[in-house]
Order: sequence, then structure tokens, then C-alpha cells
Amino acid sequence: MRMEGINRLSRREFSRRGLLFGVGEQAAASGYAAVPDVLARAVHAQRSAGVTNDKVIVMVQLAGGNDGLGTVIPLGDARFRDLRPSLGAVAAKALPLTKEWGLNENLAGIKKLYDAGKVAVVQGIGYPEPSFSHFDSIRVWETGDPTRRELDGWLGKVVAKNYDSAGHPLVGTACGNDSIPGMFRDLDAQITVIDDKETFKFQGTAAVEDVMGALYTRTPGIYGALFDTSMRSARDTLAQLRTSNAKYVPKANYSDSERLVFSSKNKLAAAFSLAAQLIVTGTGVKVLHMTLGGFDTHFTQANRQDLLLGYLDKAVAAFHQDLAAYGMSDRVLVATWSEFGRRPRENASAGTDHGTASPVFLIGDPVKGGLYGEAPNLGRIGTDGNLSYGVDFRSVYQTILDDHLKVPSREVFSTTFDRIPFLKAG
Amino acid sequence: MLSSAGATAAGLAAARILTLRGGDAVPQGTVTTQDWVAPLDRPEARMGHLLRRTTFAPTGAQLESALRDGYARTVDQLIETPAAEPPPLAGADQASNAAPLRLNDMRVWWLSWMLDSPTPFAERMTLFWHGHFTSDYRKVGMQFPYLYWQNLTWRRQSLGNLHDFLMQVTIDPAMLRYLDLHQSTGRAPNENYSREVMELFTMGAGTFTENDVRNGAKAFAGWREPLTPQLVQDRIDSVMRTSGRPPAQKPLPDTGKVGIFERTRAFVGPAYSFLGGDFKLWDTRGAIDQILANDNVAPHLTKKVLREFVTPDPPDDLVKRIAEPFRKSRYDVKTLMRDVLNSPEFSAPQYYRSLVRSPIEFLVAFARAMEIPTATLAPRLAVAGTPLGMGLFDMPEVGGWPTNGAWISSASVLQRVNFVVQTFATINPATLQQPGPRSTVRDFIARHLENTLSPSTTEILNAANDDLTRRMILAASPEFQLK
Repeated sequence: MRMEGINRLSRREFSRRGLLFGVGEQAAASGYAAVPDVLARAVHAQRSAGVTNDKVIVMVQLAGGNDGLGTVIPLGDARFRDLRPSLGAVAAKALPLTKEWGLNENLAGIKKLYDAGKVAVVQGIGYPEPSFSHFDSIRVWETGDPTRRELDGWLGKVVAKNYDSAGHPLVGTACGNDSIPGMFRDLDAQITVIDDKETFKFQGTAAVEDVMGALYTRTPGIYGALFDTSMRSARDTLAQLRTSNAKYVPKANYSDSERLVFSSKNKLAAAFSLAAQLIVTGTGVKVLHMTLGGFDTHFTQANRQDLLLGYLDKAVAAFHQDLAAYGMSDRVLVATWSEFGRRPRENASAGTDHGTASPVFLIGDPVKGGLYGEAPNLGRIGTDGNLSYGVDFRSVYQTILDDHLKVPSREVFSTTFDRIPFLKAG
Repeated sequence: MLSSAGATAAGLAAARILTLRGGDAVPQGTVTTQDWVAPLDRPEARMGHLLRRTTFAPTGAQLESALRDGYARTVDQLIETPAAEPPPLAGADQASNAAPLRLNDMRVWWLSWMLDSPTPFAERMTLFWHGHFTSDYRKVGMQFPYLYWQNLTWRRQSLGNLHDFLMQVTIDPAMLRYLDLHQSTGRAPNENYSREVMELFTMGAGTFTENDVRNGAKAFAGWREPLTPQLVQDRIDSVMRTSGRPPAQKPLPDTGKVGIFERTRAFVGPAYSFLGGDFKLWDTRGAIDQILANDNVAPHLTKKVLREFVTPDPPDDLVKRIAEPFRKSRYDVKTLMRDVLNSPEFSAPQYYRSLVRSPIEFLVAFARAMEIPTATLAPRLAVAGTPLGMGLFDMPEVGGWPTNGAWISSASVLQRVNFVVQTFATINPATLQQPGPRSTVRDFIARHLENTLSPSTTEILNAANDDLTRRMILAASPEFQLK
């Protein structure tokens, strides 16, 4: 259909300005949308027959290095006050989880989910010989390989090895990004990137899509396949989104009205709403990724980290409420990650510098709530001024794969780590 | 990830010469193949390739004049002609709380100069450095002239010497704010700049220790931003607001446009070691020299330049060959760029169309190729960058923007195509179809695509029956996204 489309594009469709205005019925009739949607589903159903569960994982990147001690805060620890003369004020306002630990006051929605047993906090996550470079450490988290030998992203491998992404483009989707996140990097995985569903459509008449689709066919050169796949993926995704948009009405308030003083790329609420839509409208999505940036708080951390956490909190709470209203919250697990934590002692700019271990949040109905891992010990700060980690981050990844998505983690990671029992049985 | 060596031999064997319909849309002799057949043995194609990579895209007059001069002289002119200064941005020097810089104005201003400057290579290099010595208008703040000044400084230094440039970078007021050096004191040195200057700006990851980061911060501490008369007034007002009375000591305006060093805020303490050198006190200049004495600097920067100008995956021997004279020249950027542009690899068939235009390069090239007046199009380009993933003065992260293959995704392909379609829908067709000196579609294909099109593009051009549509298709084509 796509290939023969070139010659079948009528002169009328191409007539002057015809691509911009005035859709002919003919153009609509030769439209591409309805067909591949059905086809893709059939292909997908066939090839993915082995993967029968309907579980979904949503990875949320807190980019820049989220300060763990400002997120899960030690209560009544005098050493915290000493280390953080100005930033330590957060302890008084924290929302207590236990006698010793409380959540940042802006995490009220997540606290409510915690009280309902739907949030696991795994403390002290890190990896051996930590890197203090954003890029280096992000790469470690993306590949799941602290030796830096691995190039592909761990989620890209999961998609490539377990799902038919070629027949079904939304299996692995990045929401709110304009490029493919490193965790999805894998040449054998077709990954979809939807920056904004409102603008994810072709401008002009329906003929534009056909013409552009044909233009990005059999493209020569080293980027040829990438161009063609991207265009095909865009069109497949559009076809699915058209159906999906018609079926979805958010059943929660995804507010993006909060203004962030300092941060790039905060479209998290819209990204979560899109994630919910892809899940509840049955697009076959399995792995989602989104990013909230701005956590590199070297300077006046107090307002910034609090605002960002509030943004995260509202989006996550709305997401959960939405899924629950659609009766699908039992399928979905949200996991946060950040390249590193920050140094326990605050710096002279009322900020914190790059550190090591920090907590990971796992949120959703599949979770067995509580505190896990190894709580930071402020009495045992290393000579470099940093905390030591207690749990390897790959323990979290492997638990997600084996116990939630139920795909074999040994196909993705060469080393096996102890799983963490943060999921309900079954 | 992607093999950089296209199978050119196979491509040549498969080459077909198509005779095309559709009037004179596609010149006879246009080659279409499975792999791009590098046309770089033709002087006009090689020159188009050079100017595309160094000046976004040439105008007809620029290409003709370069062809008269020949390749070697053109390279010399690109490199030796001092950067032309853009016209001043009205009000920018006086930016203050009451009258901050406006992001959109800054973007229109710079994009207009990318299009109109008589020295477009300097603009391309300024863009390169903007993506290297990064900044973010949110963190720097627009109630200061600093980001505007930074753009002027980067341009003046764009083909200079790294010893001077790095010192300017370190004490650039916008940089002081962006990487927190303005808050850093000898008592409590902030490590942000110290780390990034080594990891991202010069030496590369894994080439220094955490101790170097901490000690470098001591050497760099003690700088603050300069104050204009407007900024002095803002300070006084701010003290008035919080304390109810004017400051005990009225701050005085500074005359310079670089950071001000304050001894009292700098490091005095026990001797320390930084990158193997012994330091006693604060010493910003000494720390920079120490960094630039490191063997990793020249290869790190050379590799980055090669990725933007030659190949996505520079071979080690090429990096080494270009990096050595660069270092020996005491980091003269002209030496570096001359060696890059004159290297056989720069014009090698296997690297033809091996790079992807960044969104800004694509937008500027689009404007050039469409020959739409700058005043008409620049405002549209200014708002188009962010949706395409590249907003000027708005870095997604301190490491800058991605390159090449990372610019191709389902979202970005869609956005680029949409930009082209929407622009054609918005711009008055009369502007696009003026008779007279406007070049033809044939010229477009020759000048910007070296008469080398894919079979699909060729077929679609043939199916189209007017030049407006053909121009739109060419600008949206995969070919035009490459450089």
C-alpha cells in the first residue's frame, strides 16, 4: 500500500497548495490510517503470543541527580542538622513514614499511596565505584552495566528480546521526549517517541501523510533505515493514536499549571496522561519512559527540589487515580531512577554536590508497600564525604523484569542480584 | 551504532541514471541509488559539501564566488576572515529586573545574523561553541545582559586560541551563574564548574580524580558577576525591599563585561595538588594552564569537532592526526579547523551525507534554500527550534545537544516535515514565487543536494506538478536533513 502509493497519488492531490489545504475525498479514501492499525494488532497478537500478561512498567527519570536525603528525610537525627544547616529545615516539615524517616512535604500524594500500601521505597541504591559524572552515571543506569562495556539500553533489550515492536510500535514508548532515551537504545527495538500528542500529527491535508510516507521509503545511506523506520513508526503511531484519542477521557486532573522556577523540559503531567491513555485504550504498550529534569541542585536547592518533587507527586497521584478509575491500576508499576544522589553535607551555595546512594520509589497496585534496602547511615560517611550504597540498582531492574513483566532478566543482565520483595505475590 | 562507511562500491554498481518527467524539475543526469553515490569528485559538489557543513548552506552567489576561488582559497577565507559582529540587540546591554532580555528577541537576533552575516562560518562556529560551553537562560536569568554578552564573546573567540577562550569562558558572567562559580568561595568552593570544565569542556570523563574536582574548585573560587548601573540599582532596590533601608555601602558599577575577582572571597589555605600540579592559593589562570597541559584535551575537542564536521564515528588515527598539530599550535582553533576542512576525510566519499543537520542547521539551511527574506522568516525560525528539540540559549543539559543519529526519531521526523509544510502554508506564496533572480528548483537540487536524490524523492518530484510543491518536498526530504 505504502509503496504503490507513490504512483497512485493523484495529480489533484498534488495540485498547487493541494497538500496544504482542501482534502479531496480521494485522499481520505486512500488514507493509510485504518489498515495498519488492524494489521499491526494481528501481527502483534501472533508474535507476542508467548507474552500473555498485561503488565506495564513506567520508568521516571529524575535527571540531574536527585538528593535522596531531601526526598526521604531522616527525622530527629541531629547529624542531619549538622550536615545541612540550611537545607535541614525540610526535616521539620516532612511527612513521617516511620519514626526515623519521612517524605518531603511536597510528596503528599505519594504519601497517601504509601499509607495505602502502594509505595515501596528502596533506600541506599547505588553501584560499585560510583561515577560522579552525570553522563557517565546516566549511561551506567541506562545500560545496567557499571563496567561500561554495554552499549544498548536495558529496556531496549527487553523490548527487542520479548516483544514484537516492529509490528506494534507503541510497545516501548517515550512520552514527553523528543529523542529516544538511552534506556531504550537498541537497534533491534522499534521505539516510539511522542513529545506531545497534540502536535503528534501531520500538518496539512491527508495527502501530506501519504506523500511524506512515500518520501521516506528506501532511503539510501547510513541513516536510511533509521529515517524510514522513524517515518513508518510515526505513521503507525498516529494511526493508533487516532483510535486511542477517541476512546480516552482522563479521569483525573493532570495539572501542569505549576510554574517551575528552574528546570527544562517539565511536561511530566502531560506525559503521564499520555501514558495512561496508551495503557487504558489497549495499544499494547509495555514499557514507558519519561523524564523530569532539573535535579542538579548545586545551588539553592531548597525551592527547586521541593518544586520538582511536587510536580512529580501531582503527576503520579493523578496517574494512579486515572488508572484506578479505569480499573487498570493493578497492571501498572511506576519506578523512579536518578543517576546519583547528592552529598550529605550541603555546600556554601545552600545546594549539594554530586553524591552516591539514593532511594528509588516503586509505586502502584502491584507493590507491597514499605521501606526496603539499606537506610543511609549519617554516622558512616566515607572519607570522600559520601554515603556508601547498600543495594545494587540492578536488583531493582531484575525484580521488575522477573516478577512484574515476567520476562527473563538473565537475557538482559550477565550478573544476577538478589531480588527485592517489593511486589505482591502473583 | 551506525556504520559510517557506506557501501559506496555497491552503490555505484547499482547506480541508475533516471530520465525524469515533470518538466525540468530534476536535471538529467541526477543519480539515484541504494547508497548515496558521493558526487564529491565534481568541484561544484565538493564546494557545496564544504559550504553546507561550514556555513549551514550557501546562497547562489556564495557558491559561485567560492567556485571561482577554488577549494583551498575558500577554506582560507572561511578561516581567516574575522567574525563580523552582529548589529547590537536594542536594550540588551541595559537588561535589568524591569527590562529583562527577551528570549524570543535573542533568538530572532541570532538567527537573523546566521542568515545575513558576511561571515557565516563564524556563526556556525559560534553555534558549535554554544553547544559546547553551554548555558541555559533559566538558570543564568534574563534580568542581566550576561547571556547576550556571552553570545558576543563566544563569537569573538570562535576561531581564537583555547588558552584565552577558556579563561574567558571561566569568568564569563553567564557561565559564572550557570555553573555556580559566582557563589563559590575559598571557604566553601562549589565543585560544579571544576568538574564540568574538565569532563565536558576539555579533558573528557574518566581523566581526572574526585580530588582534582575538589581542588580545582579551590583554584576557581572568588569570582562574582560584574554590575552595570542598572544592576547596581536592582541590588539597592532588593536590599531596600528586604531590610527597609539602603545598603550600608553602596555598590559601584563595574566597567568590564567579565567576572570580577575578589581576593577576600578566594581560597587561602593549605597547599593542594590539582592534576598533578602544586598550588598554594587561588589560581584560576594556573588551573586553566594545568588543564590545558593535559594530554586528553586535544583529542577530546578534536573528536567533538570531527563528529559535527566530518563523521559520526571518527577513527582514532584521524583524531590523532588532527589533534597533534592542534595541541602543538597551543590550541589554535584556526589550525584545528583548517586541518579538518583540508583533510582527505572531509571530502571522502564514505563520509558524504554521513552527518545529520541539527535542528538549527536545518532551519537556517531551509531559510537559505527557500530564499525567503530574513525579516519574514527569522521570527518563524525562532519559535521552531524548541519543538524540533533545539532551543537556542536553552540547553537540555550541561552536556549540550545530541548529534547526528540522535536527531532522527519518529517525533523529530514528523516535526521537521510539519515545519516545512506549515511554513509553506503560512508564507505568502507570492514571496516564494517572485520572478526575477529567484533560483529554480533545478538550482536548488544542484546547489543544496549536489544533484543526488533517492529514487523515492525523484519519483515524488516527478509526480508533483508545480515548483512550490517541489520545493516543499525537497526541504522535507531525508536528503535535506543530512550534511
